[in-house]
Amino acid sequence: MTTEPEQPAPPALEPVEPGYKNVLRVRFLIFWLVIWAAAAVFDRAALQATEFAGFPTIAVFVVAAAGVLTAPQRIYARLRYRLTEKLLQVVRGWLFHVDTVVPLVRVQHIDVTRGPLEKMFGVATLVVHTAGTHNSIVTLPGLAPERAAHIRDIIREHVRTDFA
Amino acid sequence: MSEPTSPDDAAVGPPEHLHPLFLLTGFGGSLRGMAGGYAGIGYLAVSGRLQTALFGAVLLLLFMAASLFLYWRRFEYRVGENEIRIDSGILNRTHRSIPFDRIQDVDITQGPLARLLGLAKVKFETGGTAGEEEGVLQAILLERAQELRKLVRARRGQSVPVASDAPAEAAPADTGPIYAMDLKRLLLAGTFNFSLAVFAGLFGLTQTFGDVLGFDPFSRRFWLSLLSAGDPIRDYIIAHQVAAAVAGAVLLVLIGIVTGIVRTVLTDFGFRLDRTGVGLRRRRGLLTRTDVTLPVNRAQAAVIATGPVRDRLGWRELRLQSLAKDEGSRGAHVVAPLARDEEVGQILGQLGWLPLPPSIGWVRVSRAYVGILAAAMAPLYVAAIANLVLVPPAGAAFVVALLAVIAVRFLAWSRTGYAVDGDRLLTRTGWWRRRVTVLPARKIQSVDLRENFVSRLFGVASLQFGVAGGGMTGHSIPAIPRGEARILRERLLGFAT
Repeated sequence: MTTEPEQPAPPALEPVEPGYKNVLRVRFLIFWLVIWAAAAVFDRAALQATEFAGFPTIAVFVVAAAGVLTAPQRIYARLRYRLTEKLLQVVRGWLFHVDTVVPLVRVQHIDVTRGPLEKMFGVATLVVHTAGTHNSIVTLPGLAPERAAHIRDIIREHVRTDFA
Repeated sequence: MSEPTSPDDAAVGPPEHLHPLFLLTGFGGSLRGMAGGYAGIGYLAVSGRLQTALFGAVLLLLFMAASLFLYWRRFEYRVGENEIRIDSGILNRTHRSIPFDRIQDVDITQGPLARLLGLAKVKFETGGTAGEEEGVLQAILLERAQELRKLVRARRGQSVPVASDAPAEAAPADTGPIYAMDLKRLLLAGTFNFSLAVFAGLFGLTQTFGDVLGFDPFSRRFWLSLLSAGDPIRDYIIAHQVAAAVAGAVLLVLIGIVTGIVRTVLTDFGFRLDRTGVGLRRRRGLLTRTDVTLPVNRAQAAVIATGPVRDRLGWRELRLQSLAKDEGSRGAHVVAPLARDEEVGQILGQLGWLPLPPSIGWVRVSRAYVGILAAAMAPLYVAAIANLVLVPPAGAAFVVALLAVIAVRFLAWSRTGYAVDGDRLLTRTGWWRRRVTVLPARKIQSVDLRENFVSRLFGVASLQFGVAGGGMTGHSIPAIPRGEARILRERLLGFAT
């Protein structure tokens, strides 16, 4: 970006832990397995007598395989974050690109969460709550647990209780 | 926090009940809450089992009376030194504690029956998301309600810089209201409240059910049956089919205007805005009288709304977005339904905000605002062209509709823009629903910069601001050139941190 005149060389955007890719892969796999099973059942039950027999089972499998193989890598590559002295920035997505900035003084409270999958692959999710009605919860997944705890401690210093 | 209160705890005060007359006023509420029961009884009655229906109705009434009584019996509140505790629930007991410094706003509402009986409903606004029932005392004496409000204000007022904290109930007379509506202005506001939605609804209704109800103001029969023979208008209508349509439209417009006036008079009668120690106090309502105080430091943003006609005549509506929800659905407190620019400036001044500068250097958003919509509608063009080839009249109508959509978008674009005024962001949107939003930069909770695969083609992004309170739509600026969007974000965050 050529358009940041005031900030003296802000820290660059950082990627999250590669383990996050595996979390996404397993999540996608589970999601698509359910869809695929439903499609296969539908195929058996409703389409067996028609000329489309077998089509949903194969088509969903192809889409699912493509999704599971390519999407996690791309999502991971697009997910970046940056913590400066005043701000937390989370950048994600390409088709629908969202670049969120939260001033640290606006944070109301912070959670670090770890689901079973995240534990398995050694990552954690940082959840930042602001008082805003729109976008009141900003999540940053795929951090190393120590890094997440460290960020939480940094932000905690800035948390104020007043609303005004 | 929510531990059961022991009765001998001196810090929480003696237990108090709702007023016994709540058994009367609360009945309306439970009658309304029993919609499913009515459907059942109605079904029984229609299907001929009258006796069962009657039995069911009596049972339902008994059940309602009993549960109302139990609710009243089991509902207790205590006013303590630092908090209000509410113990409620028949089977599942809830013990709620609301610290005074979490209470942002005490609303007092009086329905028509409650006004006759001198009761009031008190609502403690905490800005929490637990839903409406967070801190509500359904019916207590009006004097007690005002006492409670005074108490809350005194307790939490300590942290607020107070200019003149005279007892609010006595004080307003010496300074007079900041803003009030006389009858003339009330009626004028009602006229502007003419709602296209009501109009469209009526039109649809007459077209769908007009024959069944015998009320279709667009048919000749309707007017002929209404007007006596020999009436010149009648002869005219017989002669011209168009006349019936025109007369019908005029009638619907009249109905629309009258409903607008009635609605406005019901909500805004006796509208009065006063300055009190901590904030702005608003009283309004004809049948249901509400009395709401909006603490000054809780105001997050201001919305100045108008329409094309009102704008030309110089009228504005001022709403404040606050952490607390207003009783209406709009999510912002209306502090002036119809006001001149000076009055808007005066009210903003009471908040400690500067009035809007006389001329604002609006930065228009990119033309891509129109282009993105035009691009997104691409599939429709194919459909329109196909129609044009196959069914030319329908296709032509389709094309005109598409062009109209784009034209409206273009009008909206011509008025959409933003400006940075000191340390606050002004945004302007809409051609029909004109809005100017004043958002102080320090109230911005988060900023999203959004792009998608269509907007990227145009090199633009939208900025979306997270602000506390208000509707879910939030504050946003569409279609700003990407670099400009980043600069604007940096600038606003510079003020915010």
